[in-house]
Amino acid sequence: MTRRNWVRLDNASNIFLAARSETDSKVFRISAEMDHEIDPELLQTALDTTYDRYSLYHAVLRRAIFWYYLQDSDLRPEVTTDNQYTCAEIYDARRPGLLFRVVYHHRRINLEVFHALSDGTGALWFLTDLVAEYTRLRYRQQDLPENTDTAQLTAQPGGGAEDTQARELTTDSFRHYFRGKQRPTEHPKTSSPSMSPTKTAYRVKGTRTPDSRTRAVELTMPVKDVLALARAEEISLTMYLTALFFESIRCAADGLGKSRTLAATVPVNLRQFFPSVSPRNFFATVRVEHTYGNGPDDIGTVGRALDRQFRPKATPEALEKKVRRYAKFERSPMLRIVPRPIKDVVLRVINWVNNRGLSVSVSNLGRVILPEPVESHVGRMGFHVSAVRPQMCAMSHAGLLTVSFTSPFVETDHIREFVRMLTSQGVDVSVAATRVTEAEFAEDSEI
Amino acid sequence: MKHCTQCTAQIEGDWQHCPLCETPTPGEPSHSPFPAIPLNYSRRRVVRILFFSSIAVILGSFAAQLLLERGSASIGSLRSVWLGVITMWLLVVMAARNQRNIAKNTVTLVLLVGLICVYWDYLTGWHGWALSYAVPIVCGTSILALLITVRVLRTEVGEHIVYSGLTVLLGLAPIGFLVFGWVTTPIPSAICGAISIIALVMLQVFRGADVRHELAKRLDL
Ligand SMILES: [Zn+2]
Repeated sequence: MTRRNWVRLDNASNIFLAARSETDSKVFRISAEMDHEIDPELLQTALDTTYDRYSLYHAVLRRAIFWYYLQDSDLRPEVTTDNQYTCAEIYDARRPGLLFRVVYHHRRINLEVFHALSDGTGALWFLTDLVAEYTRLRYRQQDLPENTDTAQLTAQPGGGAEDTQARELTTDSFRHYFRGKQRPTEHPKTSSPSMSPTKTAYRVKGTRTPDSRTRAVELTMPVKDVLALARAEEISLTMYLTALFFESIRCAADGLGKSRTLAATVPVNLRQFFPSVSPRNFFATVRVEHTYGNGPDDIGTVGRALDRQFRPKATPEALEKKVRRYAKFERSPMLRIVPRPIKDVVLRVINWVNNRGLSVSVSNLGRVILPEPVESHVGRMGFHVSAVRPQMCAMSHAGLLTVSFTSPFVETDHIREFVRMLTSQGVDVSVAATRVTEAEFAEDSEI
Repeated sequence: MKHCTQCTAQIEGDWQHCPLCETPTPGEPSHSPFPAIPLNYSRRRVVRILFFSSIAVILGSFAAQLLLERGSASIGSLRSVWLGVITMWLLVVMAARNQRNIAKNTVTLVLLVGLICVYWDYLTGWHGWALSYAVPIVCGTSILALLITVRVLRTEVGEHIVYSGLTVLLGLAPIGFLVFGWVTTPIPSAICGAISIIALVMLQVFRGADVRHELAKRLDL
């Protein structure tokens, strides 16, 4: 008999299962836009090659008494057209299948991943390898690197050694981490959602989409223009966008009412401090907030205040402390002997308490660099996440910054404010939105 | 590309109105990076409502039996028809919610059918047919059917071994019926018990390591 590899799912990934709901599938999508219409057959070939290199992506999610676990499978992924709404459910407990999908639409290659499997950086590696392999097949006659394996590892900052072993679903390393005597902080393989007690923040309300799908709106703009705006205020791009996001929500809500505090959760990639080539979840979150009405509330002031909160929390030391505390909680015997369905409930409550202290989520994957000459065939790249609250995701490539907004609500008022604040400062913005209401579909069929 | 004069932004796709502010958008439509996927709320919701209302009616029906007088006197054969219909309904609902795991389905089926038969027997005056015939026959044939099915379908050992083991353990129950003298005819229980014991020994001898591996995985703390 073939005994399959399996690894227990860590609690950080468990939270994605517990927090999963009808409106929030906990699926994220990363896209790359090519310079031509996608050839599905070549994409399938490229996917087959890439898939063979990432053992982790072969995994299916199974349920045990005390934990979920990932188990190796013989399934093969199939490229399809983009025939479901964005970030549609991937995990179905009754029909275990692969935890990702690759779809294409005109010039776009989209990778959708269930968040319990991998995080944005991990998925970006997979997509980068896939796009590199696809480009190699598509432009065979040109001088492209024969071996696209680990293309991303050398190209991406924080990649480090060309260690493809780490992409495997190895029982030993995982068990070593959770069971061994080694100090977890030396090789932290997990991340944690914020566990600190949080005060309540303004909660964005809205009309849920008719079939609970995610509303996604993607903005594209020249990255240099926005960077210039952020630099003029002397703050990082992420915090500038966050301040802009806060202001948009405040404007769209016509004032914040009683709760004048807006709070955002910002994931930080731990690989930049603790080198790792594992595509599994490896991030920690940092919470930043701003209370309006206590002095000047212009973008620059808010952004600088957020920056001042963010920096000390995003140092390796602060993150290590946080991850360590969470790892300790995870290893506590009390939690370990609790059966999985009850753990789910516990995590759901923790998640609910956490959510009360959050208005929005902000995620920035930063500037993506692809290996030349693949680079020149790829245009804008972007990503977005299914969301229980308004979320903003940013990513830049080929000089274009994509800022994607997702939310479970029909309303796009905060995005309108966001766009207008940018365009009024001379930034060229292009808007792409998903259709979610009957009225929007009716309009589509008129053409 | 279309554009919105109010937002002074370009609009990708063929939006007649700006998706952000609903201002009419002049310009030529372009490709949207997002295809328009029709709404599909109806089916999912209908299926869920059907499932939960079915379960409610079925449980209600089983409970309602207790309000009626036991034995065959009051409603007679009508009760058996009623029980037959809701049992069938329950099995159909379970089949519709079908899991891919055949062994797991078998365990569920054996448990459900066994319990319903015992309840049915109790309601119709406790003649002992459930424990003497129905339960041993269902358990015994399930074990045989499962052993054959996993072989024919080449089900992976890891997939079915735990639930196959559970089915076999359920098959040991009729031995208890014999010991406590709950049966009117010992033969079906004896045969079922024998099948279970043989299956258990076979499991232990040929698949012992696999069973331990799977249990270690599923019971991992
Ligand atoms: Zn507009």
